[in-house]
Amino acid sequence: MRKLIWLAVATVAITAAGLAAAQETPRKGGTIRMTAPYAASFGSLDAHTTPRAQDEIVGKSLNRTLYNWDSTNNKLVLELAKSVTASADGLVYTYKLRDDAYFHNGRKMTADDIIWSFTRIMDGSKGYPGARYVRLIKGAIAVEKGEAKEISGLKKIDDFTLEMTITDITDPGFSFFDGTTAILPREEVEKGNFANNPIGLGPFKFKEHVPGSRVVLERWEKFYKPGKPYADRIIVSLMAEAAARDVAFRNKEIDTSILGPAQYVSYRADPELSKGILEVAEMFTRSMRMNPSFKPFADKRVRQAINHAIDTDLIIKRLVKDKAYRAVSWLPLSSPSFDKTVKPYAFDPDKAKKLLAEAGYPDGFEFEWTTSQNESWGLPIVEAVIPYLAKVGIKVKPKLIEATVLTDILLKGEFQAIISSSLTGPDSLAQLKCFHSKTPRTACNTVMFNNAAFDKLIDEAGQTTDSAKLTDLLRQANNILYDEAPVWFFNYNKAVLAYQPWIHGLQANPTEITHQYTEDVWVDDRSPAK
Amino acid sequence: MLLVLGRRLFNVIPTLLAVIALVFLLFSVLPGSFISGMGEDGRTTIDPAVMERMRKEMGLDDALPERFAKYIANVATGDLGISFRTREPVTKLIGVRIWPSLKLVFAAMTFAISIGVTLGFLAALRPGSLLDTVSMVTAISGLSLSQFWFGLMLMYLFALQLNWLPSFGYGDGGLRNLILPAVALGVGPMALLARTTRAAVLDVLNADFVRTARSKGMSERRVVEWHVLRNALVLVITIVGLQFGSLMGQAVVVEKLFAWPGVGSLMVDSVFQRDMPAVQGCILLIVVFFLFINTLVDIAYVVIDPRIRYG
Amino acid sequence: MKWGSNTWVGGGLVGLAIGVAIFAPWIALTDPVMDANLMNAELPPSWEFPFGTDAQGRDIFSRIVYGARISLTVGFVSQICNSLIGVTLGLTAGYWGGWWDDLVSGLTNLMLAIPSLVFALAIMAILGPGLLSLVIALGLTSWSYSCRIARAQVLSLKSQGYIQAARILGYGDLRIMFTQVLPNILGPLIVIATLGIGGAILAEAALSFLGLGIRPPFPSWGSMLSEARDQIRAAPWLSVFPGLAIFFTVLGLNLLGDGLRDILDPQSTTRRA
Repeated sequence: MRKLIWLAVATVAITAAGLAAAQETPRKGGTIRMTAPYAASFGSLDAHTTPRAQDEIVGKSLNRTLYNWDSTNNKLVLELAKSVTASADGLVYTYKLRDDAYFHNGRKMTADDIIWSFTRIMDGSKGYPGARYVRLIKGAIAVEKGEAKEISGLKKIDDFTLEMTITDITDPGFSFFDGTTAILPREEVEKGNFANNPIGLGPFKFKEHVPGSRVVLERWEKFYKPGKPYADRIIVSLMAEAAARDVAFRNKEIDTSILGPAQYVSYRADPELSKGILEVAEMFTRSMRMNPSFKPFADKRVRQAINHAIDTDLIIKRLVKDKAYRAVSWLPLSSPSFDKTVKPYAFDPDKAKKLLAEAGYPDGFEFEWTTSQNESWGLPIVEAVIPYLAKVGIKVKPKLIEATVLTDILLKGEFQAIISSSLTGPDSLAQLKCFHSKTPRTACNTVMFNNAAFDKLIDEAGQTTDSAKLTDLLRQANNILYDEAPVWFFNYNKAVLAYQPWIHGLQANPTEITHQYTEDVWVDDRSPAK
Repeated sequence: MLLVLGRRLFNVIPTLLAVIALVFLLFSVLPGSFISGMGEDGRTTIDPAVMERMRKEMGLDDALPERFAKYIANVATGDLGISFRTREPVTKLIGVRIWPSLKLVFAAMTFAISIGVTLGFLAALRPGSLLDTVSMVTAISGLSLSQFWFGLMLMYLFALQLNWLPSFGYGDGGLRNLILPAVALGVGPMALLARTTRAAVLDVLNADFVRTARSKGMSERRVVEWHVLRNALVLVITIVGLQFGSLMGQAVVVEKLFAWPGVGSLMVDSVFQRDMPAVQGCILLIVVFFLFINTLVDIAYVVIDPRIRYG
Repeated sequence: MKWGSNTWVGGGLVGLAIGVAIFAPWIALTDPVMDANLMNAELPPSWEFPFGTDAQGRDIFSRIVYGARISLTVGFVSQICNSLIGVTLGLTAGYWGGWWDDLVSGLTNLMLAIPSLVFALAIMAILGPGLLSLVIALGLTSWSYSCRIARAQVLSLKSQGYIQAARILGYGDLRIMFTQVLPNILGPLIVIATLGIGGAILAEAALSFLGLGIRPPFPSWGSMLSEARDQIRAAPWLSVFPGLAIFFTVLGLNLLGDGLRDILDPQSTTRRA
């Protein structure tokens, strides 16, 4: 009798464990329904031709690049290669490529494909966005200028071995995980109509594109990760309006939705919806750049005063509805060089007034602040800051411009102060290089930063192959930026993704939360889409 | 009649050309360009060298008259150019939007005519009554409303609070999604039509009254009646035509509010993105529609009153 | 002369709006720009904040009061521009005729064919957002009506021989235009202008909604509406009150215009409907 009871208990236990495990075992099949929230259309499905973050949402499923971003461990990982060895001087990388990667037309990928793709990107007459990354390879610039037909720094050792020589000491992964450096098949591209019929190495292959509405992808059976992808199909719907996504999400018509500040508040307050929120600190720093050619801004004390005068935390909490992280210095939270011991500028109007008086502006001054309409880093922020600066005697004249003009004005330096959002990762060195005195304004040194100690640190960082030392040098450089305060440090973007209870495997990708590696994503049978 | 039509159409072409030229000129002076605008979402960083190349590729550096001539030549063959934003032919881009726009405009006009004319007619039958006053107050209120505020209030009441109708979007193209935008768009024309109809019908009735007072004989009265009725009809049709023609252009705000995928919202988005081919294509369509409706109205005039001539 | 109820009610509303605009600093409860307390963001109407607060923690009532200044200024000034341009063109076109008349008529047709919103958008995009560009944009788009009326009036006077007579008497062209023609147009012009101010205010709201607002951070009713749109579910009072302000002001202008038409222009040459 006892044996029977034990048997029963064991059965129940095993079944229960089995059920629990079943919930965790990815289900094969079903449809993933994602949304593309940044614009009302896709630019192009030819990954080399478009720099838009929106297009890469599809690109991540359709194509593959040499490296991927591992969000769990927050670092780069090889994707199209099985292993890599670097030379002692850090300039030559030898990749052992995968021999099981197939394009959607059935052909196996070889080293030739990588060489061809990168060479195509360096076509000087086309201005492909990926060129800025491939320029890292020795000889790429010569191809761009038309002086050479092949990139001398790319050597095919055999079908699955590739040797790459680069011009600067850095991890090539930073350059080659971007979707604009995807590996594409030559014969398909040369057929002509590639953007309407894209072929790639990704886990899903192209099914259809309804302009203005959606893109549909289907599982690629010969994908090289066994058992993946899990889903049968992906539908990426265009939904640029936050309100539209809100309704569709609540109606269970989509599986994921990017939340704006207003929805972030209401979703967090809802007992059901709050269970499905994925947050990550993205690698964008919002700041107000101060042009030193405008006399008051040339003085470090004035810039620090401004940082002290504004109650940044309250603005983030109330206006941005907590949908951002307080910025300390230029590099974002996820950077290994982010110094956790440094405290952000304290809200201290008295100190601000003192600094202003020291700098020779006891009665304050007036400046013009250029801004766009953007709700997260535009006019509403400027309006909120005006009273704070007024209290320390600084009068602000907002200058509203259209978003299309923002980049132009930044690069031309036609501003006294300007608020913008800048990419600040994942390659911390490349981002900090923007503040090197030798970097021209038209490249990215829009505040004409010039600091000898900073330059020295960056130069050294560019030479070292020791990653621990690199991290530390950049940390020191980042701290100099904090002290010099060339900008008002506002916030790092918090990307918020709402997801339905039946979708699993989503990654908190800090480079861009909508860029999901969909081979790891699966939907269980609670999904209304079959 | 055919001659009239022919001459009319012939007059349309210079107007069209002039509109295109004006738009071309205007947009060539606009600061900011599509290329610099691509980085605007704050998520994409554009390499200045890339921007330079793209400018050349899109022909933005060619001389203005050259670009204009090329454009006209293309339009004559039905090629509206390639959109900067989506790299697709503009005809395709606009093509998907035409039907939703037409639906919206027709629905709004139907609402306007059915409510407006009825209200105006009833009000004229009982001038000075409560009905008259209420109708006319409604009418003048309708003219005083900010279209999108009214739409927003409708959305709040019927969609968010009462949940009777969807709050925006085209949906599956059904009637439910059409109602709120059509009403928001149609309330202005409705008000105008109500007032016009009332005035016109009053004219008819007064003339009738005067004539009977003079009692000069049945046949003459009939002739007069018919004459005044015709004038009234002409007036109403004029207003309907004018409103109808300009409605597609006016629908911009309502389209944006309700996320209605029409030509108007495409036009505004394209202006902000400096997608010039798309902007030009949209304006072309809107103006053609306007001129087409105008021509229809002129034909209607001739049908109603053959004595109306175009000197 | 029949001063109907239209004129009284309309005049009253318009007078109220103008009064509020002029006496704004005394009527408003707080400073519309500086008195922002983020701790008070998006509060519903209460005794302290009769119309509630906006996302920046500013009192909506005060902002509406100050907003009257901008909205009314935009309306009046752009209408003055409209009338000036329209009358000048129409008057001279009718008076001198010939190729000038053809040109002006062609231009008028052109302006009627282009969707006015697009034209205004384009001009604002060139000039950049701001009060001045808004006024210029609106001032350039609706002059066709006054132009038509002015021209029609001149032609009618011509056909009645007045102008011929004045010329024979030795009057110069300009004098004729100012002393003979202009007084005759004044009535209809005022009606058009009054109605046009309402139109301009509505257009400002629409343009603000599309993102080309007034120079910030000063409030205009239109920009207040556009800020409120996303919050319609959570904070509807952000949209209701600015919208009502616009509605009643424009209503007043329309009623006034109608009433004035009965007085100044009984033949209703201005009756478009």
